[in-house]
Amino acid sequence: MRAAALLLAMLAWPAQAAWTWSEPLTVNSAHGAAVFPHLESANRRGVAVSGDTVGVVWEDNRDGNPQCYLAMKPAAAAAFLAEVRLSASDCFEPVVLALGRGRFVAAWEEAGRVHARILPGGTAIRLTEAESVQVTLALHGDRLYAAWAEQAGRFHRIVVARLALANDALSVMRAQPVEAQMPSEEQGWPALVVAGDDSVTVAWEDRRYRHSVPLVSHSGDGQTFTASARLTDHKSGSVDGLGAGSGAMRPTLANWGENGIAAVWLDKRDFLSGYDVYAAFDPGTRRFGPNLRVQDSFGDNMAQWHAQVVGDAAGRLVALWDDARDGTSDVWLADWNGEAFGDNIAVPAASGPGAQSDPVAALDAAGSLHVVWLDRDQQAGTRIRYAHAERK
Amino acid sequence: MNLIRMLLAASCLWATAVLADPPPGYPFVGFDAGLKAARASGKPIFLYFGRYGCAWCDHTNKKTFSDAALKTLYSENYVLVYVDAESGKRLTLPSGERITEAELGVRLQAFATPLFVYLTPQGDKIMQIPGFKTVQDFVDYDRYVRGGVYKQKTLLEFLGGKS
Repeated sequence: MRAAALLLAMLAWPAQAAWTWSEPLTVNSAHGAAVFPHLESANRRGVAVSGDTVGVVWEDNRDGNPQCYLAMKPAAAAAFLAEVRLSASDCFEPVVLALGRGRFVAAWEEAGRVHARILPGGTAIRLTEAESVQVTLALHGDRLYAAWAEQAGRFHRIVVARLALANDALSVMRAQPVEAQMPSEEQGWPALVVAGDDSVTVAWEDRRYRHSVPLVSHSGDGQTFTASARLTDHKSGSVDGLGAGSGAMRPTLANWGENGIAAVWLDKRDFLSGYDVYAAFDPGTRRFGPNLRVQDSFGDNMAQWHAQVVGDAAGRLVALWDDARDGTSDVWLADWNGEAFGDNIAVPAASGPGAQSDPVAALDAAGSLHVVWLDRDQQAGTRIRYAHAERK
Repeated sequence: MNLIRMLLAASCLWATAVLADPPPGYPFVGFDAGLKAARASGKPIFLYFGRYGCAWCDHTNKKTFSDAALKTLYSENYVLVYVDAESGKRLTLPSGERITEAELGVRLQAFATPLFVYLTPQGDKIMQIPGFKTVQDFVDYDRYVRGGVYKQKTLLEFLGGKS
């Protein structure tokens, strides 16, 4: 009986996805000890693949203050083309989505307001007149949405907007807070997905319970959102009357199969080992199930950072993050194998000596994985590096 | 009605102060303001890296930072900086790099909160100490830092030989 169960388990276990990696490329053209590029963004949407063109966005201070940039690499090009500056004044946390046929839509925070623009060409528009930060984007078919954290009284709250796209022009069709009432505490770092059924799911980091808890809400039509619910199944709370609960932060969402959604975030429920990477799945019921720990036992006693999940309609799913289990920070990934996340694999060009961190990633239409990360060197400066991988 | 609103608002502020953040009554400031003040005054920086809702931070605030003498010692001799481990608020490192408060935790390789970091007035790290500490621990760390002992001895050597 046990042997039969083992055999069934083995058959159900798809072959460990082994990846064949390209030679890494450097994305950014401006390096130096005093130039600091960053890949931070809401839902970590820093790379996208549109047709056969890869687009990467980031922020750096080469011009004396933080500005946002986009660099593109057509498949036929051996290197990334010279980057395009997206912003005119202080800019942070840019994101990019693929529109197909080499076109992209980028969004970012500039001078305290969130903006978006179609590229190549296009003109930047403000998405809101209110003070706003941490914008992200999601698309399915022709349904393009943005979400951001907007000042509402003392705190920020999450706003979701449907965007209209006409040639190179963007406009806001409607924007509304996920929750009608004023926020009682800070909300931020939204992650957004438009599923195959055109429903909209937004997750964000919320402090209403006096500690950071990822909350989630769904909308069938992009206008009316369900009451927010915890993404985590861990009922965090005070311990012996102390504090308010262990934190969980920076939720990310990805399409998973036709109508499913996967979530990955950093979770401190095991507070002795830093943040761990946790995941949950919504198979299309618009309810997230039990939480799973993503990193394997070799990473258990190590803090994980900068987690992201990427997936596609075919059901492929990969989680990425960085941790220093081998002595220095490396970029790690884990494939979802249908039952669990597999063994953790170090991205070859983003591991080894030195510090490699802050991965952002995307799956293209063929299922190839495109990964961008920071390669830090205090003397030479930080390079933004890129590699793609195909499953063997 | 106004009185009720005021009481509710006051209770919210009290709850926030108790559940998170630095200990009440201490002159903690943000990272950038603290670095500027330290450079101007020549005082070392005591950086409290806490987390909103953190139980051990709450415990340390109640058990240790409630000590009046410790409050005087640290308030008078350090620039006190508080950083929130999960905040997206931005700060500027001495190198000129702008990062979020949460990202500072990555750079410090913060495993747990609270984490206490002692910095020179220029923002160079002297040492970092994780977890709950007693009043006596902080008095010892003060002697180690402000006495300049850290330039000659490790903290363990200092603590092993202290009289």
